[in-house]
Amino acid sequence: MKLLKIGISGVRGIVGDSITPKLVMDFAAAFGTYLNSKPVLVGRDTRISGPMLQAACLASLLSTGCDVLDLGICPTPILQVMVKKWKARGGISITAGHNDIKWNALTFINREGTYLNPFQGAEVLDIYHLGRFKKASTDGLGQMRNVAQDADEYFTGLRAFLDAEAIRKAGLKVVIDSSNGAGAYFLERLAGVFGFELIPVNNEPNGFFPHDPEPRPRNAQQVVSILKVVGADIGFLLNSDVSRISIVTETGESLSEEFTFPLVADEYLKDHCGPVVTNLSTSRMIEDVARNRGCPLVRTKVGQSYAIQSLLQEEAVLAGEGSGGVALAAFHPAFDGFLTMGFILETMARQRKTISRLVGELPRYHIVKEKIYCPPLKVHSVVSEVKNFFRGREIDTSDGVRVEDKSGWVQVRASGTEPMIRIIAEDELKNKARERADEVINFINVLIQ
Amino acid sequence: MKRISTLKISISGIRGIIGDSLTPQLAGAFAQAFGTYVGGGQVMVGRDARPSGTMIKEATISGLLAAGCQPVDVGICPIPSFLILTKEAKASGGIAVTASHNPKEWNGLKFISRDGLYLTPHQTEEFLDIYHQGDFTYAQLERYKSLLVESHPTEPHLRKLLGRFNADLIRRKKFKVAVDCGNGAGAVLAPQFMEALGCEAVFIHALPDGSFAHHPEPLPENIREICRTVVENKADIGFVQDADADRLAIVNDKGRPLGEELTLALAAQYVLSQKKGSVVCNLSTTRAIDDIAAAWKAPVFRTKIGEINVVEKVLSAEPETAIAGEGNGGVILPDIHPCRDSFTAMGLVLEYLAASGQKISVLEKRVPKYFMIKDKIEGSAEQAHRLIGFLKKKYEGRGKMNLMDGLKVDFADHWIHVRPSNTEPIIRVMAEAKTAEKAKAAIRLLKKEIADLRKKI
Repeated sequence: MKLLKIGISGVRGIVGDSITPKLVMDFAAAFGTYLNSKPVLVGRDTRISGPMLQAACLASLLSTGCDVLDLGICPTPILQVMVKKWKARGGISITAGHNDIKWNALTFINREGTYLNPFQGAEVLDIYHLGRFKKASTDGLGQMRNVAQDADEYFTGLRAFLDAEAIRKAGLKVVIDSSNGAGAYFLERLAGVFGFELIPVNNEPNGFFPHDPEPRPRNAQQVVSILKVVGADIGFLLNSDVSRISIVTETGESLSEEFTFPLVADEYLKDHCGPVVTNLSTSRMIEDVARNRGCPLVRTKVGQSYAIQSLLQEEAVLAGEGSGGVALAAFHPAFDGFLTMGFILETMARQRKTISRLVGELPRYHIVKEKIYCPPLKVHSVVSEVKNFFRGREIDTSDGVRVEDKSGWVQVRASGTEPMIRIIAEDELKNKARERADEVINFINVLIQ
Repeated sequence: MKRISTLKISISGIRGIIGDSLTPQLAGAFAQAFGTYVGGGQVMVGRDARPSGTMIKEATISGLLAAGCQPVDVGICPIPSFLILTKEAKASGGIAVTASHNPKEWNGLKFISRDGLYLTPHQTEEFLDIYHQGDFTYAQLERYKSLLVESHPTEPHLRKLLGRFNADLIRRKKFKVAVDCGNGAGAVLAPQFMEALGCEAVFIHALPDGSFAHHPEPLPENIREICRTVVENKADIGFVQDADADRLAIVNDKGRPLGEELTLALAAQYVLSQKKGSVVCNLSTTRAIDDIAAAWKAPVFRTKIGEINVVEKVLSAEPETAIAGEGNGGVILPDIHPCRDSFTAMGLVLEYLAASGQKISVLEKRVPKYFMIKDKIEGSAEQAHRLIGFLKKKYEGRGKMNLMDGLKVDFADHWIHVRPSNTEPIIRVMAEAKTAEKAKAAIRLLKKEIADLRKKI
């Protein structure tokens, strides 16, 4: 069985297996047909397979008559902002985010610089399945323009949005592990904008990752040891397209990626109260934070597309996910690791507090995240079966199966990106969280066998 | 009537129309098949100046990367320079994105072996088998390669040219030369080459943007502007390159085009006066070649149409080939590289002018005079095949028949040739005779016979 995930905002798979030049060309042609010969931005992360997908995208977009602005290696949040600068009708970001090196993906961006919403995504998919792509004649072909590393407007905007002077004065020492991802090309600029001392780790965009590019404690060992040696104020881990981050404190504690969003929200909501958006798998921390600040919380399905659509619809002030992605509506409706890092540094600078102290002010829960491999054809039926396990209780089925009570919750859902079933459980007590997860895992294991 | 397919897959590679048959998906699949065929390593990717070149080039690069090859993007490059580069750089092969002299809406891919030669018919068959079976290599990620860029792709070619020709002799003459690059790939090397030979050159259509101000085939009717340029600048000679710079047409010092058949004839006349050896050309090249070769007692070998067929014969000919080519202005000098090369042709003709001390309008008169008519009629290869079957019966016993490629019939004072085009859905009809009247009469008769046959079948 080939691993291919076609979602609302793009297509993801394993290179050489499901991700082939033909598939990429067909999807890019469908997107080019959808855009109807208007300019489009293309960028990629640093994966070794990136140039193959990029060349396929360029060829197809040109063939449908779209002019192409080629950003080369570019973090998705930068591409999303640059869509507006270039007045493009859309963009394609070639990245598989946190997935390991075998994967790659196309993410489609609309003219507002956000992930396609479900309706737009459905339209592109219809064109793909119909297979009737626009074919421009020689004189109608798109033109290509190289705009590699073009990010001036992005960083100017970021500097204006945050209190750059306060961060500069704080003289912070920051360790950042970009996992040799797209962030590697831009960290110097970020450090220049905010005037912090950058100690980069895994900052060689050589096409391969030193560890899975997923910001979470498991991958934080290098940052932790270097941070201790150099006595840094904070450490960050990035995913391959800088849409998600996790934090290491100055004491060397590598925080769960669940902390990123509540940490930002707790500070931001002080001055900007409004609705907050998160998904059904995110820690309760955000519920407490929003309640304390008197802001309503909206829960959506998992995935940037859903979170951002809800952010715009609800006129919310910020959206985020437990995976470490945070979007501030006032800056740009996109998960943005640079913005998130900048905001956290600004908070440390303005409050003159260490990161461990800021985190200490947050409510603490224990969250357990597990995944079980499941044959792709069985994933949804298995998830649906889990309802029987919770018979008699109130079940939220808006994304998989979720059951909640006073002290905690557990959710079982199909991964949007891999043939996996994810089990997330949270409780005030560590062993209770573990118990909540284990009883469902046992039930599922029996089902799969 | 059934629509004639615009996609041609032949020994000359693939060609199709942009926005119709030649899609990125198709080019990507052929490139991946080629990457599978050569089994990895560096593969040169060059293109002619057509506006669709970038799109097809990107698709090609994608297919090669997927197969685990390392593409080397050489940008716009004359095809002879590209062939020489592929060999000199010790690449596994090359893919040229070009539709040669076809009109602007066409593009295509030509596949090149590690020797810097087009795939032979046998190699093409192996390669096409891979394409048709769809059994492509999908490289493991550890074997993925990066994309390289070569920004001086014409250097090995220029070195060879200047090593072969007597540049000092040419330089001393300070020739004034008008050059029409036809907005093609030749424009990236022609100025440098003319300067190296000390020529004062006037260029027209020297922007390699594929805008094709005139039809990219250097036929007399397409090159009036260069004729005027020669006259206005009092140039010693005018040159016209085709879109990928493998063929050359010549304009004399009076501003009159010589006709493309004269290019090879002049080159042969000069080379054979200097060097012993055989001559190789295709079936429809002018009889003047036979007359010139006979004067130097050089054997002539004729081949099927298609550059690779001429080249294959060059590589095996006994005695060794001194000069080869095609009547369409394609000159092959094996000393430089076994490929058609408009730069080689320019170098030879300029050296001929310098060594003889004569004007081009004098030298051309030394070439035996023939009149050739090249015409075409619409029709697919299959229709051509059936027609030729009937024509064969009709011409039985009337002349010396040759079935190597279509039907060629040699008569005492003229010949005719009918064959399907390798690159377009047309049937080529040709005739050559000592006088224009005779040639016209022969082609008229041939076309009438074809028209009659078509009504019947």
